Amino acid sequence: MDTEKEIIDLVVARLQNLPSNKEISIGSSGEFTKDQLIEHVKKDDEVGKKMVAIEMDFLRSMKDGIFYEQYSTSNNAKV
Amino acid sequence: MSNTALATTPRSDPTTRYISAWAEKTIEDLKSKNLQFFVLAKERATASIFDSMIKKHKPSLIFFNGHGGPDLVAGHDNEILIKANKNEIVLKGTVTYALSCSSAKVLGPAAVKVGAKAYIGYNEDFIFFISPEKISRPREDKTADIFLTPANHVIVSLAKGHTAGDATNAAHGYFLKSVQRLISSEASEDDREYMRYLIWDMKSLVCYGDNTATVAK
Repeated sequence: MDTEKEIIDLVVARLQNLPSNKEISIGSSGEFTKDQLIEHVKKDDEVGKKMVAIEMDFLRSMKDGIFYEQYSTSNNAKV
Repeated sequence: MSNTALATTPRSDPTTRYISAWAEKTIEDLKSKNLQFFVLAKERATASIFDSMIKKHKPSLIFFNGHGGPDLVAGHDNEILIKANKNEIVLKGTVTYALSCSSAKVLGPAAVKVGAKAYIGYNEDFIFFISPEKISRPREDKTADIFLTPANHVIVSLAKGHTAGDATNAAHGYFLKSVQRLISSEASEDDREYMRYLIWDMKSLVCYGDNTATVAK
């Protein structure tokens, strides 16, 4: 429970750094301002969960050194 | 292989207005000699017109722009154009690129299973930033450019004759270059905040099917 709250606090802190004069488009969920995004994260709803997932993925990517790698289609699947 | 391509560019809300405006810009800038593009814009991006254009022109490349879900891609006013287990067969023999959310998750593999050569798309939501003051002139929005130019590079690469796998890799490379540009000292602090979303989009972009498939000679 504490960890979940810590993650939400971390994501909110990160989102505070977004520019206030831009909006984010999240597909059919719509367009959101920074303040609206932060509210969704605090409410822990679908949009908020997506923001948390992106933040966690970013932190993992940094740990894996993605900035300096040649990203490839290795995650492709042949069906 | 036919030398035609079919694109859908609906405009039902700010998100579709943006992705469609940038898709049309990409097609215009291409001036492709190898491919003739037919564009179903705005209210012409409907299921019935899409179906009839497929039957008439048998395009080798389909370029969807619009909202999507794991098993579908939509057109104008969110009318469903393609849905897995319903009509994915119309993608048979084509290379498809869907600039829409999540459709690579279920629809991509389903289309390949029924004979689509390749399906390039996103297995998560495609996310980008906009400048609200540019909403009536999306093509002039430099913030959207950071995301939509790499995303449209798939089409640029396919139209130049590259394979589906190479086009996907080239777009990954473009996303990564945008990220690296944001790390550099040229970028503003505000712009650096977009990095995590660019990485998200890059990692969500996948290619199913035959990586060696091409659409232009």
